[in-house]
Amino acid sequence: MNLFSNLIAKAGETLHWLYIYLGVARITDLLDNVVVVVAMFGGTSLFVMFLVWMERKVSAHMQSRIGPNRVGPLGLLQTLADAIKLTIKEDIKPVNRDKIPYFIAPIVAFVATFMGLVVIPFDNGVVVQDLNVGLLYIVAITSFTVIAILTAGWSSNNRFALLGGFRSAAQIVSYEVPLVLSLVPVIMTTGTLSLNSIVLFQKTLGMWFVVPQIIAFLIFITSATAEANRAPFDIPEAESELIGGFHTEYSGVKFAMFFLGEYIAIVVSSAVAVSVFLGGWLPFPYLSAWPVPGFVWFMLKLLLMIFLIMAFRWTFPRLRVDQLMDFGWKVLIPIAILNILITGALLLFFGKGA
Amino acid sequence: MTNEELKTKVEANLKDSLSSIAMSPQGEVVLTAKPDAYLSLAQYLKQNKEFAFDHLSSLTAVDYPKENKITVVSHLWSYAMKHQLTLKLDVPRSAPSAPTLENLWKSANWFEREVFDLYGVVFEGHSDLRRIMMPDDYEKYPLRKDFSDDGFIVKPN
Amino acid sequence: MTDLLLSRIKGDVSSSGTDEYVVNLGPQHPATHGVLRLIVKLDGETIKQTTPVLGYLHRSIEKICENRTYPQCITYTDRVDYVSAMTVNLAFALAAEKLMSIQAPPRAQWLRMIFCELQRIASHLLWFGAFAGDIGALTPFLYGLRERERILDLFEMTCGQRLTYNYIRIGGVMIDVLPDFVQKCRAFLDYFDPKIDEYEDLMTYNPIFLERSRGVGVVTPEVGINCGFSGPSLRGSGVSCDVRKQQPYLYYDQIKFNECLEMAGDCWSRYRVRMRELRECVSIIRQCLERLEPGPVEAKMPPILKAPPASEAYVRSESARGEMGVYLVGDGTPKPWKAKFRCASFSNLYLLDQLTRGWKLADIMAVLGSFDLIVPEVDR
Repeated sequence: MNLFSNLIAKAGETLHWLYIYLGVARITDLLDNVVVVVAMFGGTSLFVMFLVWMERKVSAHMQSRIGPNRVGPLGLLQTLADAIKLTIKEDIKPVNRDKIPYFIAPIVAFVATFMGLVVIPFDNGVVVQDLNVGLLYIVAITSFTVIAILTAGWSSNNRFALLGGFRSAAQIVSYEVPLVLSLVPVIMTTGTLSLNSIVLFQKTLGMWFVVPQIIAFLIFITSATAEANRAPFDIPEAESELIGGFHTEYSGVKFAMFFLGEYIAIVVSSAVAVSVFLGGWLPFPYLSAWPVPGFVWFMLKLLLMIFLIMAFRWTFPRLRVDQLMDFGWKVLIPIAILNILITGALLLFFGKGA
Repeated sequence: MTNEELKTKVEANLKDSLSSIAMSPQGEVVLTAKPDAYLSLAQYLKQNKEFAFDHLSSLTAVDYPKENKITVVSHLWSYAMKHQLTLKLDVPRSAPSAPTLENLWKSANWFEREVFDLYGVVFEGHSDLRRIMMPDDYEKYPLRKDFSDDGFIVKPN
Repeated sequence: MTDLLLSRIKGDVSSSGTDEYVVNLGPQHPATHGVLRLIVKLDGETIKQTTPVLGYLHRSIEKICENRTYPQCITYTDRVDYVSAMTVNLAFALAAEKLMSIQAPPRAQWLRMIFCELQRIASHLLWFGAFAGDIGALTPFLYGLRERERILDLFEMTCGQRLTYNYIRIGGVMIDVLPDFVQKCRAFLDYFDPKIDEYEDLMTYNPIFLERSRGVGVVTPEVGINCGFSGPSLRGSGVSCDVRKQQPYLYYDQIKFNECLEMAGDCWSRYRVRMRELRECVSIIRQCLERLEPGPVEAKMPPILKAPPASEAYVRSESARGEMGVYLVGDGTPKPWKAKFRCASFSNLYLLDQLTRGWKLADIMAVLGSFDLIVPEVDR
């Protein structure tokens, strides 16, 4: 008897605590959030597995090869096989590492990029949480990767990993500035930071932002590729001739988390580019009569952008480190600032209609 | 100029620096220099406008244990005049040493290092005479005719 | 590292007070150059000194040749430069023929020319892929190899081998070509010509490639000639050094071809020279195919080839990498008393240190790639 009433009292206390501290009015709200998070996590993981397969197939066909075609139909289960291999691999750790940062770095890399998916609108109103500072939130969150990289380089107790980590961090930090600056004209025009509202603005505008803001779009794609350490900006990845980069001393699942983080960064950047510049879940022009849900348009555009970023990797040679920094600071930033000035001037003269 | 002209010109101008000059049956002009005149001969061949040997094609050595000598053989080519010459120097096998041609043709740097490594010929005046193919602490001279390899002994650490 | 080497590296360049460290670009390379070890002394990102350490692929081929008869040596010449094996075969065969006064029949000479030029195309295609891969573009490697496969098919058709042919022998070639070889070769040339344009589209004027290779690793003509530079690398500095034009061998004086020269002397010029040479090779092969006439492919020679006593011969030829010289000393026996292979990569590698001082680490890869080095040639 006592036991039973104690249990009910404890449950009531927990609910009261949840109500006060987490604002959960009903159990169903909590369950809602949990279900959404699990769905996002599961969906993203599946999507990233598909993307790894897509990258291998795209690169193969661009190079006159076939790519994976043995594991599963068309080689679709190849990523699953790779994931299983990585999980059962021996976890080799350097002896003199800094234990806690070494453990945390891949987790931070993965979680930080994953959190960016919270504000992406997949369809009208279909967002996990439509923050009214959505873009600012994304930019802030992606800066966490710098911390992860520096932590990984430092804690590995390896001079070359540290140097590789420094270089990568310098690259990411320098390319964040043009990234943000290229989004500013759009924010000035729409007056809002929420991604869903930006997409709705493009609907009322009648055209996607890529048309008036083509320069901002190009700067955004370039900076996003550099942010994700992808070719032609892949000095940290491909410096395996000399310096292995920040992830030299990681093996198995930890290594997998770094690369999962890289792919999710690509997804997040492409999703932001699609929402801000390519009209998000809006249908293609002249095809609005088709009975296709907005989600499908969004996924199509997303895949197109990701294909573009993948094509970059297999077409261009690599930039040297100093050329990379020169390009970011001396070319992209002045053009982005110029773009802001011109947009601002046009907005002043023509009012909000521009 | 043709090889016959070359031979006559060299004979006319440089007779005292040579211990022998011949036209080989294969049609090549082969000079053997006197040891003390070797460097000045090479310099003359490079700097004189009629000869103008600006390219040292190859520098190697040949071991003649029966005659107790090692011959340092250089092949010279002139891009300007398009003629070829073979320059030889005999050094005694017991203490093989020759002047370096590095200051005339930089390509001699590594060629002479190779000859030092494989034959043991010491080049005086060379800027960086050490072994090039074999490990630095190797003691024998592999391309000599009396080289015998006792097998590869691995020293325990 | 032994003390001698270490002291040379540490003591050679004066310390500037900043943190200098020595890094090993170890014998195992992701790039396809082979087993080459570079010890690089760096000051931050800038290179202070590069010391190549050779000998990892030293197989004592010259010593071995002293214990083999002349025809037996030809097999070893394939291994001196396995990417461009026909040209080394040819160099040795020419030297031995000069030594023993043997004249190969005309059909053999034309066939030798065809195969050497096909080999030059194959070697340049592999270089193209490796160079692009070093710079960071990973796709051209597969395109180059795709074309190279067709050339290797032609070689396999003729002598059964894809890499080490042992085809060009003393006195001629090993065996006559199959009846449909000429038509297949012409078909390949027609297929290959537009591909060169494809590669030029992809790489030559790509801004990133230009930034990585223009102005990097400049070789002036005087320095080049003095340091024994040769081949397409020296032609990139404007020096007319093609052995096929200077000392024509086989029938190169009877056909028309241009020597490709570029003036700037940087990595990009060397790249351009080789791309233009691809087209020249195609034109040479076409002319040779037309002049090919039926006849014997091997000269009449005594069953055991003996060199005259106290004889010697030095023959220079143009391999894909540059000047390939073979020096043979004969002593009246069937075996050479001395065989020396003068290889282009050995002499070219000497300039690496001079060219990369003061540049960045990534430029070593660019310069090394533009030299078209093959380590078995360096070490023999």
